[in-house]
Amino acid sequence: MRLALLLLCCALAAPAQTLDRAMALWRAQDYDGANNAFKALVAANPKNAEYHYQWGQLFYERFNAEEAQNLYNEALMIDPKHAGALLGTAQILADEYNPKAEEFAQHALESNPKLYQADELMARMALEDDNRKKAQDEADAALAINPDALDAIAIRASLDLLTDKESPWVAKIGNRGKGYQTIAHFYVINRRYEEGIQYLRKAIAATPDLWSAHSQLGISLMQLAREDEARKELELAYDNHFRDAATVNSLRLMDSYKNFDTFRTPTTILRISKKETALRPYFENELKTIMATYEKKYQFKLGVPVQVEVYPDHEDFAVRTLGMPGLGALGVTFNTVIAMDSPSGRPPGEFHWASTLWHEMSHVYILTLTHERVPRWFTEGLAVHEETAIHSDWGDRLTPDVLAAIRERKLLPIADIDRGFVHPTYAAQVIVSYYEAGKMCDYIAQRWGESKLLDMAKEFASDRPTVDVIRDQLKMEPEAFDKDFLAQIDKETDKTVGGFSEWTKQVREINQLAKDGKTDEVITKGRAIEGLYPDYVEAGNVYNFVAQACLKKGDKACAMDELGRYNKIGGRDSDTVKQYATLLEEAGKTKEAAAALERLNYIYPLDTNLHERLGGLLLKINDAPAAVVEYQALVDLHPIDMAGSHYNLARAYKAAGQNDQAREEAINALEAAPDFRPAQKLLLELSGDGK
Amino acid sequence: MRRNRQAQPPAPHLSLWPLWRRRFRLRLPILAALCIAAASPSFAATYILTVAGLGGEPDYEQRFAALATDVDKILRGGGATDRVVETLKGPDATRAKMEASLNRIASQAKPQDAFVLMMIGHGTFDGTEYKFNLPGPDISGTELAVLLNRIPAGRQLVVDMTSASGGAVAALKKDNRTIITATRNGNEKNATVFARFFVDALRDTAADTDKNEVVSALEAFNYAEKKTSQFYTEQKRLATEHPQVDDQQHAAAFPLLRYGAAAAVINDPAKKELLAKKDDIEGRIDALKYQKSLLAPDDYRKQITALLVELAKVQEAIDK
Repeated sequence: MRLALLLLCCALAAPAQTLDRAMALWRAQDYDGANNAFKALVAANPKNAEYHYQWGQLFYERFNAEEAQNLYNEALMIDPKHAGALLGTAQILADEYNPKAEEFAQHALESNPKLYQADELMARMALEDDNRKKAQDEADAALAINPDALDAIAIRASLDLLTDKESPWVAKIGNRGKGYQTIAHFYVINRRYEEGIQYLRKAIAATPDLWSAHSQLGISLMQLAREDEARKELELAYDNHFRDAATVNSLRLMDSYKNFDTFRTPTTILRISKKETALRPYFENELKTIMATYEKKYQFKLGVPVQVEVYPDHEDFAVRTLGMPGLGALGVTFNTVIAMDSPSGRPPGEFHWASTLWHEMSHVYILTLTHERVPRWFTEGLAVHEETAIHSDWGDRLTPDVLAAIRERKLLPIADIDRGFVHPTYAAQVIVSYYEAGKMCDYIAQRWGESKLLDMAKEFASDRPTVDVIRDQLKMEPEAFDKDFLAQIDKETDKTVGGFSEWTKQVREINQLAKDGKTDEVITKGRAIEGLYPDYVEAGNVYNFVAQACLKKGDKACAMDELGRYNKIGGRDSDTVKQYATLLEEAGKTKEAAAALERLNYIYPLDTNLHERLGGLLLKINDAPAAVVEYQALVDLHPIDMAGSHYNLARAYKAAGQNDQAREEAINALEAAPDFRPAQKLLLELSGDGK
Repeated sequence: MRRNRQAQPPAPHLSLWPLWRRRFRLRLPILAALCIAAASPSFAATYILTVAGLGGEPDYEQRFAALATDVDKILRGGGATDRVVETLKGPDATRAKMEASLNRIASQAKPQDAFVLMMIGHGTFDGTEYKFNLPGPDISGTELAVLLNRIPAGRQLVVDMTSASGGAVAALKKDNRTIITATRNGNEKNATVFARFFVDALRDTAADTDKNEVVSALEAFNYAEKKTSQFYTEQKRLATEHPQVDDQQHAAAFPLLRYGAAAAVINDPAKKELLAKKDDIEGRIDALKYQKSLLAPDDYRKQITALLVELAKVQEAIDK
């Protein structure tokens, strides 16, 4: 009886599904109930654009941007001028730093000129691009419609605060935490993490249940390696149903820290996977070299240790870059904390970890030197410049994407280059912007001297905009700089840009000739076009075609010569470099062979075969201490042949005159394989029993 | 004899690792027996047939033939007289020729002999039956089993390195036969890389992890399995093959390749006493390792060092 009554009530209630009811459920945080209510509403009113849009808003708030976009699209199919759906689309695009967001925001405004949120969104995007004038204009436009528009107020406040001015706009935010969170966003994307954290705390103080601020605070604290508090904030957000991808993935990442080891020196903190402790000496040595170099170059010492986190799983690393604009593909720096891919995070040959470390460490120094007041193009450009300053074969090569951008005159003027990093307008623009910024710094160093870069950094520290720094330091107008710089780029790349089509055609032909076994033609044609695009060392490169053709003819000297060029320019394929080392070794050039293999340590030091070979070569050239490092790395990688590896380490220790360690390693070898005769002989010798 | 000694401390609370190690060490008397048998009048031979099947396209054709050629070269090398090596590849690797080879081995091999079949190439599995792809008609797992069952060799090893090779295990399984496959079942159908690494194991002394100068079938498998796994990890590719061995203990006792001077010494009657002493020390080392977790690290280190030095001295005397 009671059940029947209940069913009757439900039946009576069903037709009462209204937008108000759905919204009430949503406000009451009954998200499933609200979703069901919207579902019923849309089913009953399939042609009502507003219902689709509001349902989309629910999904957007509950972290499902994809579903929200589908619903906005459905609303726009019904009503192409639906201002809310247009703005919703703009918001989703803006979250992804997609410049198309502005187009949708404009359409939204055309549909509803009173939609001040569209102006706010455009103001936000402009400030992300560091286009302060436009940001102010758009914020003012929003305020003209609604003087209490919170995001516009926060943007006006941010404009002042980012230039270190006190802002009357801050007081206008009052107790609306979301406004402080917006200010924090601008601090964070300008790499001013501490101030970002300060404003997130203000946001929470003003609105304690602003869970998105708790989550962002947790992420920012995690980025600066303040893990205990970070976890508390993230868990608080999570427990209060704020479970977006960033919150969940950050908590997961922190859970995975138990799989990492932390190694400390007075100046560094290195966090690496327990499975990859073999990386430790390479990273620590490189950090030592980098710090010595940068201390001299930038004329100061860091006041706190640098923390470097090395992630074998690229997805873990990606969690560390959440919400950040730009590429962030290999490494990211948060003040003095660096997170980067491990060499194992990508297929061998794809990633030069040492180059990335120099790059990120450059950020650490420049951000510290400038108190984080440095435009994106300068810190990225300088970091790219540093990659090749130490070794010319490091850093990135000239890619076809960059060539296309140069050919199509897509390089940005120096005054606008920051937007190429933040809101790219074509697929490769971030990569192109890195290249361009790097080349700008190369050009400045070449024309005005390396010290000019330091002078510029110091001026940026007083929060001067790029155009002013160019005028002050280079004594020229930004437009004149662009003209000279582009002329230099053209000079450097003219041959490759102009010859690219021909080169591409010829490489295809060479590929076919190689398949047909026409070795002489491969060598002749290959050598003829090498100069057209010398930087191309990726798969299908001409050097390798020619080298293999030489080998087929039995001409090892020719192959060695060709692979030497590949190596010098920066080829990173492990098998090819090893083949080059073999040829050198066979030709009696042991030292050069060791040098070739040593290059691979900066690319993929998790290769057991590499350490075994390199250790052997180093012993041959009597560099026993270096051989110890190589064989120790081999042991740490737990190779198949543990006994052989301990034995080799014992030999290296013996050669280095460290007989006690040598004996210990001989015992380790024999513990793994008691009948291992060479190790037995060595043990007896080291025990004073050898004959 | 050592079997009795090693069976002494069966501490049931210890992990499986030392138990496995203990089993692994049991193979040495078997190996020694095999080596002695090799020098006795009733000469035990190992018959090895390698077949590189149909590539289907020039790249695979070339790759499979090259691997088979390498195997042939390695097995014939070192002046080995106790091996009968045959290789079929390219257009010669037909079903008729494979059958003829297996029938010939069946007529020549004796129960004390060993037999190894290595298959390189593509395989298929339709949910019931595995087939090894050959130029012309293929051969199924069941048909192959019939041919192998006729071979009287008391110890047999099948190394099926083709795609879908895991699908052949059910048909080929037999008491005295160890089966290694590149895939864990018949559903892993992509071309494999396992063959490349298995062949590498035969030429890389690193595969001989216990350094007894014999690469056992298990050592070759472990080497190739680890390299295969590394290959997929490094290339960031989903592993489409998971090599398996159906009986680790028998695989450990199956000498696939012998190198160095170990075999000759074992046959010298003058060294009998030293060999017994060596055997005794090895047994003590095994027992000590088995108790490692129960001992203080320093104590263990001291004892193992003493035993290893003693063993090295005995070996030095044997080698004189």
